[in-house]
Formats: sequence, structure tokens, C-alpha cells
Amino acid sequence: MYDYTIIGAGIIGSLIARELSKYDLNVLVLEKENDVANVQTRANSAIVHSGHDPQYGTLKAKLSVLGNKLYDDLEKDLHISLLKTGAYVCAHDKDEEDILNDLYENAKLNKVNDMEFLNLSQAQLSEPNLSDDITKVLSLPTTKVCFPWEVAFFALENAINNGVELIRNSEIISIDHKNDIYILKDQNDQIYESKAIINAAGVYSDDIKDMIEDDAPFKITPRKGEYFVLDKSVRGFINHVLYPLPSKKGKGVLVTPQVHGNILLGPTSELVDDKGSISTSKTGLTYIKQHVTALAKNIPFELIIRSFAGVRATSTYKDFYIKESTSHKGFYHVAGIDSPGITAAPAIAKYLVDEIIKIKLPIKDSFTPTIAKKIVFNHLTKEEKIKKQKENPLYGRIICKCEHITEQEIIDAIHGPLGSDTIKGIKKRARAGSGICQGGYCESLIVKIIARETNKDLTQVDYDQKNTPILYKETKVSS
Amino acid sequence: MKDIYDITIVGGGAAGLSAALEAYDPNIKLLIIERDQIFGGILNQCIHNGFGLHVFKEELTGPEYAQKLIDSVIKKNIEYILDTTVVDIKKEDIFTLTVSNIEHGEFEIKSKTIILTSGCYERSRGQISIPGDRPKGIMTAGSAQRYLNMDGYLVGKEIFILGSGDIGLIMARRMTLEGAHVLGVAELMPFSNGLTRNVVQCLNDFDIPLYLSHTVTDVVGKESLEAITIQEVDKDYNFIEGTQKTFKVDTLLLSVGLIPDVKLFESIAIDIDPLTKSAYVNQALETSIEGLFVCGNALHVHDLVDDVTIESQKAGRSAKKYILDAKKDKACKKVVDFDQLIRYIVPQSIDFNNLSQDVDLSFRTSKKIEKATFVVEQNGKIIKEVKAKYIVPAEMQKIKLSPSDFISKDDLYIHVKEMS
Ligand SMILES: Cc1cc2nc3c(=O)[nH]c(=O)nc-3n(C[C@H](O)[C@H](O)[C@H](O)COP(=O)(O)OP(=O)(O)OC[C@H]3O[C@@H](n4cnc5c(N)ncnc54)[C@H](O)[C@@H]3O)c2cc1C
Ligand SMILES: Cc1cc2nc3c(=O)[nH]c(=O)nc-3n(C[C@H](O)[C@H](O)[C@H](O)COP(=O)(O)OP(=O)(O)OC[C@H]3O[C@@H](n4cnc5c(N)ncnc54)[C@H](O)[C@@H]3O)c2cc1C
Repeated sequence: MYDYTIIGAGIIGSLIARELSKYDLNVLVLEKENDVANVQTRANSAIVHSGHDPQYGTLKAKLSVLGNKLYDDLEKDLHISLLKTGAYVCAHDKDEEDILNDLYENAKLNKVNDMEFLNLSQAQLSEPNLSDDITKVLSLPTTKVCFPWEVAFFALENAINNGVELIRNSEIISIDHKNDIYILKDQNDQIYESKAIINAAGVYSDDIKDMIEDDAPFKITPRKGEYFVLDKSVRGFINHVLYPLPSKKGKGVLVTPQVHGNILLGPTSELVDDKGSISTSKTGLTYIKQHVTALAKNIPFELIIRSFAGVRATSTYKDFYIKESTSHKGFYHVAGIDSPGITAAPAIAKYLVDEIIKIKLPIKDSFTPTIAKKIVFNHLTKEEKIKKQKENPLYGRIICKCEHITEQEIIDAIHGPLGSDTIKGIKKRARAGSGICQGGYCESLIVKIIARETNKDLTQVDYDQKNTPILYKETKVSS
Repeated sequence: MKDIYDITIVGGGAAGLSAALEAYDPNIKLLIIERDQIFGGILNQCIHNGFGLHVFKEELTGPEYAQKLIDSVIKKNIEYILDTTVVDIKKEDIFTLTVSNIEHGEFEIKSKTIILTSGCYERSRGQISIPGDRPKGIMTAGSAQRYLNMDGYLVGKEIFILGSGDIGLIMARRMTLEGAHVLGVAELMPFSNGLTRNVVQCLNDFDIPLYLSHTVTDVVGKESLEAITIQEVDKDYNFIEGTQKTFKVDTLLLSVGLIPDVKLFESIAIDIDPLTKSAYVNQALETSIEGLFVCGNALHVHDLVDDVTIESQKAGRSAKKYILDAKKDKACKKVVDFDQLIRYIVPQSIDFNNLSQDVDLSFRTSKKIEKATFVVEQNGKIIKEVKAKYIVPAEMQKIKLSPSDFISKDDLYIHVKEMS
């Protein structure tokens, strides 16, 4: 019997798990995917917004400004990667400047700090590639960029270290409420019993709600966003997050530097029928190319190394829906968490636990808020490298040449509390295969390392989901 | 390991080994560094034959060709380290290479010259932005070739191939022979990007359809690939409505271009040719950085390994000359200019102060031409003409100029005269 069961291991579920792991409670996290952070949290702009955009007075506004501040704590405790970029919101003419002024007033009410207006030449001093037809810029220095999968991984790893349990490949398909106990069933007919439930299922949060409530205060109206990724050799081309003016469709097509040096171009914003569809389209990708040029000139499109899409959990409620169920006590919805959900995530977790659930327990003695810093070998100093290599020679063998990832880092990604045995899982953890050749050379080496470390046949090594081996069969079996 | 090497060769494929053999001299301290556990590079996965007709005068498989070079390197006692990756190159008066391996961890090697022969990588799906889902089952043809020929694993059973580069064509045949079903090959251009002999021997002989002026416009399959759609394009590459064809496949192989792997230039300010995406070189295959030579697929992509060997021998000789001979000033580099029918030319410049050997111009045309004359001019005068037939972009063209062909130290201009 669990005290709390969290449905969904995106950034929201993971940070809630960490928040609950402070107390002497039995906490379970259930995730339908083969890996943590595989849905919205995998495919977004990664921006920790300053909180300028959500309308004053909303939960979104309050939690994103607070979330932005809490990221500095996560940096200290979990050693997450954080790029302090600042942002420019760019206006192109008088009409747009009026909207920019309104945005500034809204941001001031939201208590966003250190904002200022710049003209084009002032802005181009720090961003020479800013488009020449921009007339006025709102500078938002508190804007940052994180690496969302990493935040979810490290938060959940920390939670696991503090006693939380995680089960992957477990999709909840029905929930019963009997004698104050919730009975959850997954697609394998596994049954879990819990005194309370937290619905952090992202785009599927309304489906989870429908399992327990009839009257619907919200419905997910999914919005897809497509992106291009530029190779990390563009590092420095643009150093701030560049926003156009927001519209009804959202924040528009942006230019966003990433923590590893790449730049994202996108997203689009398209209403879609299928929540699970993360396909890109010719129309979407063309739209991005047409619109980013309003923000930056000389964009090196020839350095595109990948395109992808994510689906936002936008809901008809128009704000985050963080409430206890209207009909079932102890069932908490953390739903409709679309953008700025990454930004607000640490604040959402605190808000839920402190203000909605109102846990009164003391923090347990054994609670440790920190995790050990992950070794990114290439970031070490010469002396540290020599020391590490003495302890473990496999730090000397480079597997992914583009990203400079060593064999030991891949082994570390396979094992550990949140390890993975898939190609995509290793790419998410160690970045092997994220460079310009996209695994062309190293993937075959990684398949072998995974097989060796997990005692599997090469044909059992999955790409991402369960039962997606990249090798179909052995051709010549020696007797 | 010795304190300072005269010549360090990065890469032990056909280019690296050929350059080493030619640079070898008892008075030269020479080192080859290879990241793989064996020498040979790409040749190891090319188990089909067709290699070596020019260099060894016999038809060899890739591994056989490599073995001949390896045997000679061993016989000459050339120093080498395997399973070792070069991660960085810096230059002050001489070069410092940062390398890494299991035995020593990360360490430095000093060298007076470097020959970079790091080969090329394959363009991936992301680089050509194929829309659709991102399931498992999509990979480059070269990766599939490595899995099949070196590891002994087939990557799928119902296959479609995008791009008619040689690797794609060869894999169409190879996978068919292993029992997979290849449904077709789509090519964006109105002509194949592979050698004609490969179109005949790998597609026609196996009744595999080639869809010219077609490209993949959709990919379907949430977890595993289920289907792809191809569509025809007009001469401006606009999609033609109503020409969509869908194929149910579990594998899409991409053979959509190779790009020189010159990541090691990242910390060296070197002049890069946007056309080849590799360094500008002179006829000695020396880059804008003195003492740094590049050859093989790291310089521009070759269709024949024999061409790689011949080019790399030149780089080996140049590096040896640099070490052993007194240096002459290199003030007058002259540029090789060309017309629109030519896509790129290597070398991009000529150093007339150091013109002791032949100048080998390698280039590709930008379209298919039935019959033409390649004309080399200097000061408006024709200094060389070469006639050619059935010219295709997939086949590298060559013009050899001897030092006596030049009439001045001025720029060269090369153009293609189409004949009817
Ligand atoms: C294109 C795009 C751009 C964005 N840009 C930004 C940005 O720059 N800054 C920002 O702050 N926010 C941004 N966001 C929003 C942000 O990504 C989300 O708000 C955030 O990731 C939400 O996290 P989550 O954990 O709620 O959702 P998810 O990451 O989707 O996690 C939900 C989890 O629940 C699991 N689940 C669902 N149903 C079940 C079930 N039945 N049983 C078990 N598990 C289940 C899912 O598999 C998933 O792992 C963007 C979103 C998109 C799509
Ligand atoms: C599929 C395919 C089919 C072909 N078919 C034919 C054919 O039928 N006939 C024919 O004549 N030619 C053919 N070729 C062409 C020919 O084989 C190649 O052009 C040639 O082998 C390339 O040699 P290379 O040394 O330049 O590159 P590679 O063989 O790629 O060698 C580069 C070497 O450098 C090493 N390296 C790279 N970076 C580093 C680093 N940082 N540190 C250390 N080492 C490094 C690599 O491990 C590799 O061994 C084919 C090529 C391919 C790809």
C-alpha cells in the first residue's frame, strides 16, 4: 500500500516525487513509457522563462516567476546544467512596440526583475546577428535555459535515493476508489493500491481525470510544436533567447541557445487531434525557416542536424489546473501543464505539496536534498582527468567522437538508479550520438556496450520503446 | 613514444596507410594514430570487390585492399597506435595533438607536420529534414553495412532506400542477398548519384526499382517504422501532387551524401572551402596552416579507393619534402577558378614557387553531360584540353598538369565546353 502514487514521470511528476520524498511516506511513480521524461519533457524549448508572459493574477504567472528563482536551488542541489542567457523580446514596428509596452507592464505586475528596453543598436552590441528590422527590444536578464530531461532525471534519482519507487512501462488504464483506497490497474493488469493519487500525466491528464470524475472542468486541446536543431558548432551565434511578440498561438517561433551549445529554431503551434503524434511536417518546418528570419540574420540553416516535435498539454481551463478532485478526496490533478511548465515545475511541486495537499509531517532525518555530481569527462580539468583515468581506464576510450563521450560514461548511463538499456536512453543520459553524425559511427559500439553490460544478445538491444531492437537478426550463426 | 615526431598521420584507413607508406624514410620519425582497433577504415566494411584495379592492377575486396597496405606498413616497421582517438590539434611552432586511449588516458603528442586522413561521415536524416515520425528503423546505409558486414546482423527485412549513392546501391544488393526484400530506391536528382556500374550490378540485376526525381515525404510509425511515402519532384524540386506512393517497410536506409570529417579543425583557424566542407589546399595538399596536410575522404569524397591512395601518396611525399628539404617561400598561391558546370575542384590553389611535381586537379560536374571538353586556361590562353564522354556528377573527373604546362604564375580558369 502506497501513501501517494504519482502517475507520470515527466518533469512535473519527478519534482513532485522529490518534494514528497522529504517525508516519511511510501511514494510510487508510474510511467507508461520505457523511460522517464519521454513525452512533453523531452521535446520543448527548455527555457526557464522570466515569467513575463503569463497574464498577471494567474497561477501560471505566480508559479513561473517563483519557479525561475527555484532553478538556482536545483543547480546547487542537483548540479543541473543551467545557462544564464537572458532574453530579448523583439518588436519590429510601432504596433509591435505598443504590445511590447503592454508586455512590460504585465511583467512588472508579475514581479519580473531587472527588465529594460533597448534600441536595435544597443541590442546588437551583445547580439550582432539580431535582425536589422527590429526596432525595440525588451531585455529580460533573468531568463535561463535548462536541460529538461536532466532536471527530471536528477530530481527523480534524488527522490529514489530518498526512498521513492519508480516503475516504468506501466500505463494506467483504470482507477477504482473503494473504502478510501485507490486501486490502479496498468496495461499488464498489474494492480497498485494507494491512499492518494497525483495525476501528472501531461497531455493525458484529462484521460486520467475521466477515469475518476464525470464533470469535466478541463479538457486537453493538444498543440504541437516543431523544431530544428543546429549543430553545436554554432555556439555563440546567438547568446540570448530571442522571442518575437506573443500572439494568441503562444510565444511564437524562437531562437534558443541550448546548454550544450546547439541552437533550437522553433516551435510552431498547431492544434492537433492526436495527442501522441510527435511527427514533423513539411509545412511546419518551412514555417519555422520563414519566421525565424524576423529575429536573426545569417542563420546557418546548413548546420541543421535534426528536427523534432512535441505536443503541449494546453487545456480549456486556460491556466494550470492544480486542484484536488471535486468528487474524490486525495486525488490531485496537476493538469493542463503546458508552457511555461518547465519553468514553473519546481514551484508547481512545492505549491501542490505545501498549499494543496498541505502535508503537515516533519522532514525526515534521512532526507538528503543533493545528489552526487555526474561526471562529464570532457568538462574535467587535466588533473581531474588523470585521476579519474587512473581509477578507471575506460575514461580513456572515446566512443562518441562528436560529443567526446567516453566508454565509462556510457557504462555509467547504463547502470545507476535511473539507468537505461536503450540507444535513446543512453543518448539522453550521456549525449552519445547527439552530434553532427547522429550516431553514425558510435551507435554500433554503443549497442555492443549495452549488450555486454546488461547480458543481452545484440538483437535484444532496443532503440527506445520496448521491443524495438535495432538489429533484426544474426545472419551467420557459427556453431 | 619519441619526443617529437616529424610526421603524424591521423587515421589509418586507405588514405592514412597510403600516405604513411609514401612518407616513410629511415630519417623520418613517423606515427599513425587510428581510433579503431584495426586499420583499414571504411574498407573493412566494403566486402564487395572492385577495389585496386589502378593501384594493384587486380580486383580486390575492401579488406584485401586494406590488408595489402597494412602488410607494407608492418613490413616497414612504421610506428602506430590503435584504439586511440585524436581529440584535438593545436599549433604553436609545432603541432600538439591531444589523444586518448585506455592505456595512457589523455596525453599529448608533438609533431612537426600532420596528415589528416580522418575520412568522412554520412549525412543523417536530420540534416536533410525528412518530415514525419521518428521511430526505430531509420539509419544510414553505411551503418547498416557495418552491422551486416562486420558484426553479422541484418537491420530489417522490408527495406526502402533513399538516395542512390554507392553505399545505398551496394546495400540494396547486399541486403537482397541476405534475404531481405528491397522495395525500391528513391533519388531526388534526375540521375543516380552512384557509379553507373553499381546501378547496373546492384539494382538492375536484382529488379530493384529506382525512382529518379523522387524523395521521401513522410515517415509513419510511432515506435517502429511501418511505412514511408515517396513523391515525385519537378525540375525545381517542387513536389508534384498526386504522385505519392506508400511502401510498407520496417527499414529506411539513407544514402544521401558524405561529408568530410574535419571536426579536428575546430580549434585551429583554418580556411575552409564551403563547397567541399573541408580545407582549402594547394597542389601539395597543404592547408592554410603550414605543415598541415589533408587527403582522402577527409579532403573530399572519393568514389574509388585507388584515387584515395594516389592522392594520399602525394600528401605523404609533400610532408616528407617539408621535413627533409630546405623550405622555399610560399608567397604566390594561385587560385583555381571554374564555371557553373563544375561543382568543386581540389586543389583550390597552386603554389608556383614549389612546383616540382605534377598538379592533379580532381573535380565533379554539377550535372550529367553527354560529351564535353574540359578546358584549362591561363592568361586567356588554353594550356590544356581533355575530352570526356558520359560525364556524371557521381564520377570524379581528373586533369593532370605538368609544371611545363603553365605559361605564367597567374590564376587558372577551368571550364566545361559541352559538345553535341
Ligand atoms: C513544443 C513545446 C515547447 C515548450 N517550451 C517550453 C519552454 O520553453 N519553457 C517552459 O517552461 N515550458 C515549455 N513547454 C512546456 C513544458 O514542456 C511542459 O509544461 C512540461 O514538460 C510538462 O511536464 P509534465 O511532467 O507535466 O508532462 P510530460 O513530460 O508529458 O509528463 C507526463 C508523463 O505522464 C506519463 N503518462 C501519461 N499517461 C500515463 C498513464 N496513463 N500511465 C502512466 N503514465 C502516464 C507520460 O508518459 C509522461 O511521461 C513546452 C512544451 C512544448 C510541447
Ligand atoms: C560503402 C562504400 C563503398 C565503396 N565502394 C568502393 C568500391 O567498390 N571501389 C572503390 O575503389 N572504392 C570504394 N569506396 C571508396 C573507398 O573505399 C573510400 O573512399 C576509401 O576507403 C576512404 O579512405 P579514407 O582513408 O579516406 O577514409 P576512411 O576509410 O574512412 O578512414 C578514416 C580513418 O580515420 C580514422 N579516424 C577518424 N577520426 C579519427 C581520429 N580523430 N583519431 C584517430 N583516428 C581517426 C577512422 O577510424 C578511419 O579508420 C567505397 C566507399 C564506401 C563508403
